[in-house]
Amino acid sequence: MKLAWQNIVHDRARFSVTVLGVSFAVFLMVFQGSLLAGFLRAASRLIDASDSDIWITARGVQAFEFGTPIEGRVRELAAGVPGVSETSRVCMAFAVYRTPNGQQQVVALVGADRNVGKRFPVPEVLGSAEGMTPDAVLYDVSDRDLIQVTALPAEVEVNRHRASIERQIEGYGAFLGVPFLFTSYRNASRYMGFGPEQAMYVLLRVDKGYSTSDVQQSLRQRLPEVDVLTRDEFAHQSRRYWTIKTGAGSAILTAAVLGFLIGLVVVSQTIYANTMENIEEYATLKALGASQALVARIVLTQALICGAVGSIVGLLAVVPAIGYAKSLIPWIYTPWWLLLVMVAPSLAMCSLASIASVRSALTVEPGRVFRA
Amino acid sequence: MPNHFLGVEGASVSFGKREAQVRALRGVSQFFERGKLSLVMGPSGSGKTTLLSLLGCLLSPDEGTVFVEGVPVNGLSEAERTVVRQKKISFVFQAFRLFHSLSAIDNVALGFELRDATLSGRMEMARDLLVRFGLGDKLNQEPNELSPGERQRVAIARALAGNPPILLADEPTASLDAQAGRNICQILRSQVDDDGRTVVVVTHDPRWQEFADRTITLCDGQVEQERNL
Repeated sequence: MKLAWQNIVHDRARFSVTVLGVSFAVFLMVFQGSLLAGFLRAASRLIDASDSDIWITARGVQAFEFGTPIEGRVRELAAGVPGVSETSRVCMAFAVYRTPNGQQQVVALVGADRNVGKRFPVPEVLGSAEGMTPDAVLYDVSDRDLIQVTALPAEVEVNRHRASIERQIEGYGAFLGVPFLFTSYRNASRYMGFGPEQAMYVLLRVDKGYSTSDVQQSLRQRLPEVDVLTRDEFAHQSRRYWTIKTGAGSAILTAAVLGFLIGLVVVSQTIYANTMENIEEYATLKALGASQALVARIVLTQALICGAVGSIVGLLAVVPAIGYAKSLIPWIYTPWWLLLVMVAPSLAMCSLASIASVRSALTVEPGRVFRA
Repeated sequence: MPNHFLGVEGASVSFGKREAQVRALRGVSQFFERGKLSLVMGPSGSGKTTLLSLLGCLLSPDEGTVFVEGVPVNGLSEAERTVVRQKKISFVFQAFRLFHSLSAIDNVALGFELRDATLSGRMEMARDLLVRFGLGDKLNQEPNELSPGERQRVAIARALAGNPPILLADEPTASLDAQAGRNICQILRSQVDDDGRTVVVVTHDPRWQEFADRTITLCDGQVEQERNL
């Protein structure tokens, strides 16, 4: 196996090109993978932030951002179903926001009851200990340029209602180019013009002694005019909508696959060229008694060494690049396992790329050793 | 009763098809005695290298039988012939065919590894062989840092790694100057005298006659002359 290593390091220029090809592919795959992971996470971020077990939505709502009103009595009816321990409300609508300097901007306004969940960005939950008013409005720090607030608190308008922006939060930045504003349910429904007879999302917690699916079933029977989904089901549906139905996720996924294919071609070409350059040595090896398995192992080892080194270089490059990209794409997200998981396709890519090379090395006639 | 240790019987080999067909060997029967240095001579295209390829299990005859250590090897699969080469036969080439990315000692150690991957102390044995051939100060040099004569000595050391009983050499002195060529002749002769190895050398070089036990001359794929020296 020393021969495998020596063969590739002996020609450093070619080795560098191969490593560059692999690292480029790994970089692209991890970057695109991070975009996809971030996109998926952002697509259901607010659903996941709630502590509820069940979400009730209007019929046919595909994603959190596209909720439509339901009757307010749904909440009372749901509360009466055995197993439902607590209810809360969330609403969301696009609204017109007027910046302190008078410019207008569309925002996604989200309102929620204080018992929706500790992670949900609601002033009543987040600000109770920090002196915020119950009707305060929050925005994500990454949307500062869009919101155009220079000092807090700032008096602004939302749908022609006066609002007070009091705090920045993190992790809930613009997902679709439209910034989110978060406030209490009461406040949001006032800005949206919702009456008490209306709701958008009713969230339920299930008593510990009850099965979520049983309660879901009972709710479906009791409330046939709405959709009753577990939190995970609604999150999945929302992710599915944004990634598949809008085509955005497919585009990101396609770019990741293209990264893989580009890497495959580059690596395949360089490994093949390397093998063909050493084809006489493979013939010599075979003449000297090397088995086919040994010859294949040498070529494959070379490919895997290139894959491993290229992966490390690619990962070392992509981590700071994603760190920088966060300032431009706040929702980009790299799960730690993605870095490890991407090593496998890159090694698979190199193995795949070496197939043609292995074939050439195996079919070379040992008898050619006598040609001067 | 012929000595069937190493040789061919009624061997014919053709290359190409139809009009382009070339008959490299035409029913050649020739055996090489154990522990002798035999020369195969003849003009270009006479079939010398084809005969060497048959003896080295690198090629199968269209007709006839090849014997290695007295055993017919015609019917063996490619994998089985590889094992025969691995255990019994070793080669020295005109173009040396050293692995360019490996040092001299690594080249020889690889020779040991190819014969027995489980063998321990390969580097020490490789060093001993190279020292024996006067290359003790060139152990870590790569082939392109060595003179042609030194490269051929490394190639012979690699061929002798694992102590194969048969050594087949194809024009081993063709790329060397007179002094280096003579040195190689002496080394291969010593393999016969000291270690009882069977050596077959294909050559045009008349200097070899001084070191050989027997000469076979081929012409147009047939044995033209046999001579004991």
